[in-house]
Amino acid sequence: MRCVRPRCRSVEESEMIRLTIDGKRVEARNGEFLLALARREGIEIPTLCHHEAVEPAGACRLCMVEVTKAQWNGFSKLVTACLYPAEEGLVVRTDTERVMKTRREVLELLLARSPRAEAVRRLARQHGITVPKYNVDEEGDNCILCDICTRVCSTLVTGAIARVNRGVAKKVATPFDEASDVCVGCLSCARSCPTEAIAFLDDGLKRTIWGKTFDVVACSVCGAPTVTKEQALWMAQRKGVVEEDFHVCDACKVGKTGQACRKVMW
Amino acid sequence: MESKLMHVFPEKCTACRNCEQACAFAHLHEGRPTRARIRADADPQQREGKNVLVVCYQCDAAACVAACPANALWRDMKTGAVYHVESRCIRCSSCVAACPFGNMRWEPLRQWPSKCDLCGGDPVCTRFCPTGAIQYK
Repeated sequence: MRCVRPRCRSVEESEMIRLTIDGKRVEARNGEFLLALARREGIEIPTLCHHEAVEPAGACRLCMVEVTKAQWNGFSKLVTACLYPAEEGLVVRTDTERVMKTRREVLELLLARSPRAEAVRRLARQHGITVPKYNVDEEGDNCILCDICTRVCSTLVTGAIARVNRGVAKKVATPFDEASDVCVGCLSCARSCPTEAIAFLDDGLKRTIWGKTFDVVACSVCGAPTVTKEQALWMAQRKGVVEEDFHVCDACKVGKTGQACRKVMW
Repeated sequence: MESKLMHVFPEKCTACRNCEQACAFAHLHEGRPTRARIRADADPQQREGKNVLVVCYQCDAAACVAACPANALWRDMKTGAVYHVESRCIRCSSCVAACPFGNMRWEPLRQWPSKCDLCGGDPVCTRFCPTGAIQYK
């Protein structure tokens, strides 16, 4: 796998470097991010904003690790593992007291912001936090501004949502909180959200997300729900095929394949 | 690449659905054959020897791979199978809509797409077919 970031693309693939992570000598590609390296080595680093489909953003600050080098004379620094590229001779620790203190602090803040988010609560529980020391925002929604939804939508789908406002008013929304004209209702944002913060309604006939209601196309054979009309159109335009290709459900396509086989064979 | 292929002999298939059960237990860890990645499409007129096993063809120019915006479908160079990388999936269900044969399935309970990955080179369904209608050789 190759890194998607431009600064890593220039790195020769064959250029292997050696570093230490939790006392283990490992080999890595120059410029590979520490989080990917740690996960490959089976070292667990908790994350909430990491999704392999999109570029890392360093939004949740949970993957903090401590890095140092022999020539740094004892100096060490905390960095986000998801954004820090591996270097020759780097010594990485993922379980020091400094790292755990920072991680707990981040979790206290996240839990105070989103007390009902199950993913945050589970991680906090694992780190021994049940009640945060900060004032809990009882009306706080589940969104921790991890940015997965906006990154997924803007780089992989149509770019209907973004972060708006600054500071405490920052949130994820469509432009001017109006129904987006580019949203295709694919639900990628809601389904990739780690804290299930994005509300949507889907009853098989209509789908409502971000204040826009979509018609779900009924399978042209059996009437089961398939994708939305807008998503079928988006896929058709993207690949230069006709929209009707996407209007049959998976079960009916199996039946059609069977029928076609029977026609050819017998 | 290995030269092994999934061989399906429809004339031997009795639509006993052992393969579906085996697939469901191997991948979902429960006997939910309707969500298996292989389907025994029984002949609607109930003629003997006219049942068709529908399982992923692992197409060279695969529609699911072309439709995936997140590059979550990769080809296993050892077996030639296209497999679904769950950690890269954004669950937009484009692949399910794109597969022309219905071999890319949507699991409604988990809300994930699923497809046959040849079990990494040892398909479980082939071991449970009593008549040898599906073989990996």
